[in-house]
Amino acid sequence: MDFARDVWYTLVRRLRIDLRQPVWLFFSLTQPLIWLLLFTQLFKSIALMPGFPTGDYLQFFAPGLIVMLVVFSSAYTGFDIMVDINYGVVDKMLVTPANRYAIIIGNILNAIVSMSIQVLIIFGISSLMGVSIETGGTGLLLTLVIVWLLGLAFSGLSYALVIATRSHTALVVVSNMLTLPLMFLSSAMMPQQLVPGWVTTAMKFNPVNYAVEAVRPLFVTGYDWNAYLIALGILGAFAVVGVSAAVLAFRGFGK
Amino acid sequence: MNMLETRELTKVFKKSVTAVDHIDMTVREGEIFGLLGPNGAGKTTTIRMLSTLTRPTSGTATIAGHDIIRESKQVRQLIGYSAQAAGLMEAATGRENLKLFGRYYHMDGRTLSKRSDEILELVDLADAADRLVKTYSGGMRKRLEIATALIHQPRLLFLDEPTLGLDIQIRVNVWDYVRRLAGEGISILLTTHYLEEADRLSDRVSIIDRGRIVTTGTPAELKGAIEGDAVSLRLPWADAGEQANTLEKTATALSGQPFVRKILPTHDGVNVYVDRADEAAPQILRLLEKEGVAITSTTISRPSLDDVFIRYTGRTIDEEATGDNGNAGKEG
Repeated sequence: MDFARDVWYTLVRRLRIDLRQPVWLFFSLTQPLIWLLLFTQLFKSIALMPGFPTGDYLQFFAPGLIVMLVVFSSAYTGFDIMVDINYGVVDKMLVTPANRYAIIIGNILNAIVSMSIQVLIIFGISSLMGVSIETGGTGLLLTLVIVWLLGLAFSGLSYALVIATRSHTALVVVSNMLTLPLMFLSSAMMPQQLVPGWVTTAMKFNPVNYAVEAVRPLFVTGYDWNAYLIALGILGAFAVVGVSAAVLAFRGFGK
Repeated sequence: MNMLETRELTKVFKKSVTAVDHIDMTVREGEIFGLLGPNGAGKTTTIRMLSTLTRPTSGTATIAGHDIIRESKQVRQLIGYSAQAAGLMEAATGRENLKLFGRYYHMDGRTLSKRSDEILELVDLADAADRLVKTYSGGMRKRLEIATALIHQPRLLFLDEPTLGLDIQIRVNVWDYVRRLAGEGISILLTTHYLEEADRLSDRVSIIDRGRIVTTGTPAELKGAIEGDAVSLRLPWADAGEQANTLEKTATALSGQPFVRKILPTHDGVNVYVDRADEAAPQILRLLEKEGVAITSTTISRPSLDDVFIRYTGRTIDEEATGDNGNAGKEG
């Protein structure tokens, strides 16, 4: 019970601080918005190629963009706790009887909540631009489940990296190095049928691709339970790895 | 029962740096205990071990009878920890900061509200309670930071360098609050490298140097151990050779004189300890002149903890206590 309570207080205090600075929420949305406008213009004619699954690139790209947003946003969440570490706030939390795992889990959950808000806003904007979701409200909920698992995994790893290295630089370097390749080695921007064979092989090892493959049918063609359940398994395992890494890194804190 | 007791408490960091070396220390119920030493002496590491943030390499410590490792949960409920770093959420108000930490101590809403008001009153922040911390001045932050360590009414408060990097007026102000707290019956373990701070606040002081406690006593006892006044002489020398020469001549001139109790070299001269400095000083000056020792300046002082520190470590505290006032609050 104490655990749940400590998670709750950690989450609530972070949310309260975030909501006080809504400017950050909008700030974090500018990048996906730019992609939304830029990519749909840039790749407009690709949708006309034979073999392209939709007639409209925006409809194809919107689910990919949601996954991209989650990867980019969660990869940098470690910054939040870095500030708390540097200001000595984490030390002060650790001298209380609060459950130390609850502190880290509460922080990760906060990242998930603010990420969900961002996803819903981007979804709303894409809808206004004409994107439809084939499977409706249920599909949106199923999309969010994938978003949560992916977010848990990446924000967990982001926290683990920052706690283990205590370095902003390490986080920036690693995140910059990994996020773009992870996106390009997925079908977020380009359908699998149109990429070289080695990229298709690489996609099999990329958890991000499973997320895209699970979410896109919900938007475009209707339920693809096969793809969805595979993604659920793989991303579930990935989330466990990410969160465990963060918890383990935090356990070693200050030893 | 003692509030705090350590036995052979030791911390060895990787690369076999012994930060804290077999420390035996006792804090009695209701007293302010000062741990005085230069930077790097092991003060912060000691506090971090006692507040369950860092695991000791060996040795034991108990707080109100509870072992800090085996019973860390009870210990955390009993202690308050005020760190060198700010330790506050800048984007939250003073009251929110207090309440979050209170929640972590599992206080219920009503008790917490009442206690927050009380403690904000105690540190004179009632008017600023609902402002964001980022609008606070340095002194206000420090007071709020101490307040967050007190929200759950701990019986023992750790104050790690409470006035490091603060202006002198604010420092005096923080001292007042510390005394006020002691008046409420809480025991306090305070670390400092300001001799004046240890002298003014502590009931008892331990001097810590290179991870070891070199002496413990009340400020008065420690000063008594020095026996007498000090005549501090600044002597001009250009290099180590001249220094040795000057010191030797000084020793020749003064040793054997009945009124001289002790001669100790400092980094820029010598301290001569005597019973009555006002009578001894003219004689010392005459004797040194006869021996041909030039003197830059002379100061007469009653014994202070400075002298105690020199007496036990052979160095003045300022030789090592430089260079970190500028980045106070940035290190953990």
